[in-house]
Amino acid sequence: MNELEGRPILRPGCRLSASSDLLLIPEGALRLQGPAAHIVQACDGVKTVPEIVATLLKNFPGTEEARVWDETSAFLTKLRDRAILEFV
Amino acid sequence: MSAAPQALIAELTYRCPLHCVYCSNPVQKSDSARELSTEDWVNIVQQAGALGCWHLHLTGGEPLLRTDLEQLVRTGRASGLYVNLITSGLGLSRERLRALVEAGLDHIQLSFQDSDEGEANAFAGLRAHAQKLRVASWIREHRLAFTVNIVIHRQNIRRLEEMIGLAEQLNADKLEIANVQYYGWALRNRAALLPSYDQLRRSLPIVEAARSRAAGRMRIAYVLPDYHAKYPKACMGGWGRGLMLIDPAGRAMPCHSAHVIPGLAFPSVAEQSLRSIWEDSPVFQRFRGDDWMQEPCRSCDRKTADFGGCRCQAMLLANDAAATDPVCSLSPHRAVVDDLIRQAMRESDRQPAWVYRIEPVA
Repeated sequence: MNELEGRPILRPGCRLSASSDLLLIPEGALRLQGPAAHIVQACDGVKTVPEIVATLLKNFPGTEEARVWDETSAFLTKLRDRAILEFV
Repeated sequence: MSAAPQALIAELTYRCPLHCVYCSNPVQKSDSARELSTEDWVNIVQQAGALGCWHLHLTGGEPLLRTDLEQLVRTGRASGLYVNLITSGLGLSRERLRALVEAGLDHIQLSFQDSDEGEANAFAGLRAHAQKLRVASWIREHRLAFTVNIVIHRQNIRRLEEMIGLAEQLNADKLEIANVQYYGWALRNRAALLPSYDQLRRSLPIVEAARSRAAGRMRIAYVLPDYHAKYPKACMGGWGRGLMLIDPAGRAMPCHSAHVIPGLAFPSVAEQSLRSIWEDSPVFQRFRGDDWMQEPCRSCDRKTADFGGCRCQAMLLANDAAATDPVCSLSPHRAVVDDLIRQAMRESDRQPAWVYRIEPVA
């Protein structure tokens, strides 16, 4: 899935709330559940998607790797399509 | 009882250096001399955070005329709010913008009146355009969400393509093109501002083409004039459902035009907490839910989508704030709107004879 190449980072004006349960964006907010907040926190413009997946696998041991890949890719794609995330 | 408001709209002042012919602020600004103190606003912003609001929209008038703006941005951020500034850019310097960003500003919405400098200045009644261009370039020196707002109407809709081009050139993250809504000063100038159906129809493919061209770089929101719509807008996302507005004197309102509805006593933030205003005040409950609705809204499937449209518009056009918004094709008052459109079109070939909003600038 080469469209997720690069290092994801939140776009200007998008950020996690102090309590990390909300992703605040200009038009509103998304409530983050499960590992979503961890994924967003890992989008620091430094780590690549494979590195983010590796971090998640370390934080959530015992989770099936293919599933983490699928869910992370789907989530990041959604955020990118909504102009919340960009790849640098 | 209703879930907490998602956003608090803080109208810090009605003062403004611009004299826009479509200004949506109240025509009668009897309270304009009285503005809340810094302390009052700090208290309100903190309450909004505690109540569970997500967003704080700092607006006016021109909010930059408040010298305490930086402090309010800082308080908003410290209270857990996402802070948005809605501004004309007049009164902003590169240094002041940096201070606002350092205070925690998340998003800035900068207004333009046109892509053409001469026309833009004519609509604003002030040579403001060049300053706005400077402000836009300073904004891009920061990591900040940047939205360009442009109000369109019959006199500038023909330059829609150029206006979109301007926002692209300025590297905006988002462009909001909004047709004039007819409240406040805009209502007085409606005959000069209302676009024809044909102008509107021609604008749609222009916006569509620009959306594809700018995909991934700039998003475009396009607000159509509801006079030409088949169904009304979901005004304010429904009365008392998601938004609370505080006017410069500290009156809490469900929307900025609600003062046109007689008999509403707006609670004062000096006397009541935001929470009690939101949950218990009669004004916020007046058109909440659907018990107040008349036919055809009451039995309409769309009542949970558009909430019967705009209560202020129902008041202004049908003289009944609980009526179906007269712009709705199902409204028994729709003929009033069609007459207004015909009347405006009869004057469309003439030079606009509009009235500028002139106020002493304190």
